Amino acid sequence: MADQTGAGPAVAEETTAAAAARRWGPMRVVAALAIIAVLLVFPYLLPSGFWVDMAVQVLIWGALASAWNLSAGYAGGLSLGHAAFLGVGAYTSTLLFLELDISPWLGMFAGAGVAGLLGLVLGAITLRLRGPFFVLATLAFGFVVHILAVNLRDLTRGAAGLVIPFDGGWENMLFASLEAYWYVGLGLVAVVVGITLWLERSRFGYYLTAIRENEDAARSVGVKVVRWKIVAAALSAALTAVAGTVYAQFVQYIDPDSTTEFELSVQIALIAIVGGMGTAFGPLLGAVVIIPLGEVLRAELGGGPSLMVYGALLVTIVLAAPRGALPWLQQLVRAARRRREVSA
Amino acid sequence: MDLALQIIASGLLTGGIYALLAVGLTLIFGVLRVVNFAHGEFMMLGMYGAFWMWALWDIDPYLSVFAVVPAIFGLGLLTDRLIIKRTIGAPEVTVVFATLGLSILLQNAALTVFSADTRSVTTGYTGTALSFGEVRVSIPMLISFVVAIGLALALWAFLSRTRFGKAIQATAQNRDAAALMGINVQRVYMMTYAIAVAGAGAMGAIAAPVFSVYPRVGLSFVITAFVIVVLGGLGSVLGAVIAALLVGLVQSVVGFLVGAAWAEIAYFVLFIAVLVLRPQGLFGRRGAEVYQGA
Amino acid sequence: MLTVSEVTVDFVGLRAVDQVSFSVGHEQIVGLIGPNGAGKTTLFNVVSGMIRPTGGAVALEDEDIGHLGPADRSRRGIGRTFQIVKPFGNLTVRDNVVVAALTQGHSVPQARRVADEQLERLGLASGADTLARGLPLASRKRLELARALATDARLLLLDEMMGGLTPTEVNDALALVRELNEEGMTFLIIEHNMKAIMQLADRIVVLNQGAKLAEGSPQEIAHHPEVVAAYLGEPVEDASDSEDADGAA
Repeated sequence: MADQTGAGPAVAEETTAAAAARRWGPMRVVAALAIIAVLLVFPYLLPSGFWVDMAVQVLIWGALASAWNLSAGYAGGLSLGHAAFLGVGAYTSTLLFLELDISPWLGMFAGAGVAGLLGLVLGAITLRLRGPFFVLATLAFGFVVHILAVNLRDLTRGAAGLVIPFDGGWENMLFASLEAYWYVGLGLVAVVVGITLWLERSRFGYYLTAIRENEDAARSVGVKVVRWKIVAAALSAALTAVAGTVYAQFVQYIDPDSTTEFELSVQIALIAIVGGMGTAFGPLLGAVVIIPLGEVLRAELGGGPSLMVYGALLVTIVLAAPRGALPWLQQLVRAARRRREVSA
Repeated sequence: MDLALQIIASGLLTGGIYALLAVGLTLIFGVLRVVNFAHGEFMMLGMYGAFWMWALWDIDPYLSVFAVVPAIFGLGLLTDRLIIKRTIGAPEVTVVFATLGLSILLQNAALTVFSADTRSVTTGYTGTALSFGEVRVSIPMLISFVVAIGLALALWAFLSRTRFGKAIQATAQNRDAAALMGINVQRVYMMTYAIAVAGAGAMGAIAAPVFSVYPRVGLSFVITAFVIVVLGGLGSVLGAVIAALLVGLVQSVVGFLVGAAWAEIAYFVLFIAVLVLRPQGLFGRRGAEVYQGA
Repeated sequence: MLTVSEVTVDFVGLRAVDQVSFSVGHEQIVGLIGPNGAGKTTLFNVVSGMIRPTGGAVALEDEDIGHLGPADRSRRGIGRTFQIVKPFGNLTVRDNVVVAALTQGHSVPQARRVADEQLERLGLASGADTLARGLPLASRKRLELARALATDARLLLLDEMMGGLTPTEVNDALALVRELNEEGMTFLIIEHNMKAIMQLADRIVVLNQGAKLAEGSPQEIAHHPEVVAAYLGEPVEDASDSEDADGAA
């Protein structure tokens, strides 16, 4: 977060682009443009639909983990109930689409609203809980939503699930080509990671990290801990629901197990932890690693052994590198650069 | 009236079986300050142990306890050595997710080795019942209840009567003071973890004649055990026993009145309410819930 | 500036603070002393809004602030440090102070400038980009002070700032408090280092078992019979006639 160049008095008056160019240097701007260009044509570089499908999943899971990271990584609320918000997003937009013919583009906001409200209430209720108590409360909340999804049959059709009939077109967020979902997923990730990047530099982000580090100290310097924790919980829940809508439109079938189950909450957390909690790009990196790894392992070894690897990976990462892969990689890069400077 | 008695009886019996699982969970939390998400998996392994000893060698599940307990105890020692020990004093994310990862690992190891099939033990007493007036009580259920409560109370007696039990309690109250008094805290942690998960294994073995076993069976049990432990006051052994009976009762009564799903929602909501409003549990003293995060 | 009237705090089965009243005038330095468990830190928590008292009132500039939480009290000018320091460990030293400055309504670049000024003044500028958890104890204590100063505090509550410091560091801390005081800062200080507080304070409040035992100038307190008795029967060191470094009770 620290800006090594030191912010001079002129910063506020500079335009964003000029400031970016000054801070990053022209090389980095070129690199960023190149990355954007590659991302835009990426699905067409992949050998088959299988890989495009996986790439879209990476984006959706990356967005889910990034949304989780907003409250867990920055504000310190390790939630094990986030699948509930994924489910709320998926079910809200799908039901609005099926029952009232409302476009998922609008339903997405409705889902985000409902989930945001739920996140706000849950955030307010669990405000004072710390450590394992917070984890257990979110876990219980996740179970409540799952049980409701199974049992409110009049609304959700229970375990039978909901099929989204294919009626292709932008207005319905339904596409015949997998590539189109890549761009939807890319937009989704851009929004969530963009919000995270903005947060890192904003007052809000400073407050959240202070709260994560020490609530009492944050209060003592004037941070309104209650307000910001609740806002973070609501924002994280709302963005998770948005990803839930995209997920529903992508798989075109939702049921309680595929949207609200406990294991999904674990997977969301796992991806963010492996990649690096409390970093803007860590959760995305986690998805890039975990999703293909999971697919390959499942194909090679079957469901049980692949999940065994997940479990072992989770244990190893939290014991050996609890800050995740990204900070570890950054350290490696810094060390390599130092070596190069020394030898030069 | 008789129906009511029947419902109460079956609720208490189920609750009693849960007690043994909850006691270990609460002990681990009270002493190590670790929420053992893998607790249900040790129970699941105990169930498989009992099942296979019955299936292969025709050993009665209640007798298999004598083999299952030492085996799971050893596994507990190993787990403490490899994982739990390294989480003490580590960041919160490590404390929470290390045991969760272990749970995923063990669950899917079982899935890989034993497949997803649901298996049940059938013995001479399966389906038999005692009649008290109009109330019928399943015999295996009754035996399991008696053994589970007996073991849970034995654990409680061990903690309050023996020298090592007192060392465990001293460590639970104040790690640093216990170390100053010459207690080997690392050893206390290791033994506590192993004893607690052996309790879960024992519960699995004695539950085998009553409940079917499948790889994910631990998850549903452990979630209920969390509810019990929080209601009883995290760290309180006797509180866990009482809360287990209470939860069994609530599950049975509410389940009968409005259906099992709503009963589950009711106790999860109760669970959150207790966490928020009375974190020391329904019967706990204040102070036991204090959590010192790293 | 600060008026504490008849504040009482009950914990379960224990009266931690019992009907304590005192006041702190503008630009005064008031010491709060007493044996361990006397209720000093509890009283700090009441003044800074961390806990609600069972009874009594706290007023800042004659205005009751009992209904305000710690964040609002910080915004009204009450800053504090903690007995066991609480830095934002995984933030840089600068960002620790930036957080505090932001609550004063500064923009992020402005807050950075405020933070750098405070770090410069407290001699922490050279390590501004390192993580706070890596700082030695004396620097972490200074960092807490820098954080409080960045909130534009007018009343500083220092909870055992000298504890664990070397004699040189204690002298630096004393000089810093004096300097800030000359610039108009008001202080309420909990201190176990008797010599330091006797030198520093205009007035001293003595707590014992939750209740106020005595109040007066350092001279009066040093010779107060009950205070002397409370401190294990040994005369309290007087700043003017003892050079022993350690005066911890």
